[in-house]
Amino acid sequence: MVQRLAGHFSVEESAKRIRHYRYAEERMMRVMGGWIALTPELGSKLLFGRHVWDCAQHADLWGKRLPELRATAQVSEPPNDAFVRFMDRLESPEEFGRTAERLVGIYRVLKPHLLATYAHHLAHANAVYEPPTRRILVRTIEDERRHVAVGLAILAHHLTDDGARRRAREWEDRLQALLAEAGGVTGEGLSHLALPDIPADAGDVAGDLVELGKPVGRWPLPPDLEAALEAHALNLERGDLAGLTEDLAPEFRADGAGLYRSLLAAGADRHAVVGVAKLGSHRQIKLRLESRQGALVLLSRWAQRDGRWQVVEAEAVRTEPA
Amino acid sequence: MDRPIAYDKLAREDRFIRMRARRVGELRVEQGLPPFPDLASRESIKERVHGIMVGELQAMEGTGRTVYDFPDTPWEFTLDMARQVWDESRHVEIYIRLLEHLDGYVGEFPETTILWRCACAEDAAARVAGVNRGLEGLACDVFNQLIHIARKIGDPVLEHAVDFVLADEITHVRMGSKWLNALTEGDPERRKRAIEFQESIDERFNLGGLRREGDHEEVPISIATEARRLAGFTDEEIARLIKTTQRSPVY
Repeated sequence: MVQRLAGHFSVEESAKRIRHYRYAEERMMRVMGGWIALTPELGSKLLFGRHVWDCAQHADLWGKRLPELRATAQVSEPPNDAFVRFMDRLESPEEFGRTAERLVGIYRVLKPHLLATYAHHLAHANAVYEPPTRRILVRTIEDERRHVAVGLAILAHHLTDDGARRRAREWEDRLQALLAEAGGVTGEGLSHLALPDIPADAGDVAGDLVELGKPVGRWPLPPDLEAALEAHALNLERGDLAGLTEDLAPEFRADGAGLYRSLLAAGADRHAVVGVAKLGSHRQIKLRLESRQGALVLLSRWAQRDGRWQVVEAEAVRTEPA
Repeated sequence: MDRPIAYDKLAREDRFIRMRARRVGELRVEQGLPPFPDLASRESIKERVHGIMVGELQAMEGTGRTVYDFPDTPWEFTLDMARQVWDESRHVEIYIRLLEHLDGYVGEFPETTILWRCACAEDAAARVAGVNRGLEGLACDVFNQLIHIARKIGDPVLEHAVDFVLADEITHVRMGSKWLNALTEGDPERRKRAIEFQESIDERFNLGGLRREGDHEEVPISIATEARRLAGFTDEEIARLIKTTQRSPVY
């Protein structure tokens, strides 16, 4: 009987630990909320959108538990300054093109760590006098396990080459080092925590719930426009300014000449259509041009003039270094 | 991360083609089309659904920013906004699937960022007034009409899906009313500025008279009086909105 009442955490220690959990969940929720607008990929955007609410609920559950432990409700407290530095670093990838780092930080570092910490806490929380805490732990463990599974499935779509996988590993190592320096979310160290168990059907879960970037096999272009576009792209690759000029509608030739001269100076070895939008009978087309120097995305509007498709407007919307 | 971020930081995959709303309207008019897609054909319904999908996307992004940008607001406010982020993410998925249902695809029409710009107000009260009451109020109007058209053309998939989204939007407007009052309590000047911001959004989204009081089939966007009442708009506010639609500038 005495053994059943033995416990690892005092009321005060429990409250302190819960304030640390709340800090991690609240801050993670805010960071993911802020990242949504900065993340181009739809699948990752929707993933963050979904998990913001679950993390908010976790923070809320922890915050409501606090007054039951003689502490102030809804208070977050980091375990130490090192954990704040870890979270600052996790938040830092905000530039275009750093989605993989964001996903690594949340789904390969922070959430697995929380999952392991919660599981350890549940294993040691007294079953007789700590059921309110245990119930929250059961709920958060279930959510975190699901989040990690889906997050890893989405991340796999970003890690398509060795370079991306190496960068992801390096970023993970840096964050893991900072997390270890902080001693984890409790500040007590990481050595006692077991690696979390993640379900194997993650891919199915992600496929069902989140819109991943679906490859478009063939853009729905009228055949004559498709042929005109292909000829235009080949003119760009060949450096044929006279041919390109012929592709431009008369009203755009003067304005477009400078742009196309600069495109030819940059050069292009490969091209791909990456976007097609309808605007009445016009088509807005995004063409990605790649060379050894990098890539450029050209947006052009095509309209029919005297029975043939011509460019009536064009601009370079993005350049990427190699 | 910056608080708030610049308008042009809004990130998109290449399949999205972004344009100024005014330019899209001009190019449509030049081709003899209405500046804003009507609901007269399956193609125009698809274009309207695509516009709603990107609107929901921007609403999710804007509300996500609200969660991040205002850490000093009451916790319950953050909780409501986090819930709204999840709702908007579901709405995006619903509209992506509706686009597929209508044989469309993501990126099939240009995206305008006019909603996103409205979601970038620097004050939390203004943002919640503009987004939750201005833009979500507009959503009530647009969805109510879309449900009616779906029923008329016998498309239960479209009808039921949009009806669930409308139920969420009504909740978001209620949240907006609640937090506009709570955040500006004891600060009439802040409240006035927030309401003025909302009214400027209402005015902008009258779309040069396209939004009007009237039958679903008679006007391009009909004001959803009943849904707005359910969402907590007062009769006086609805009357004021109807009045503004009669003096809106040409799109």
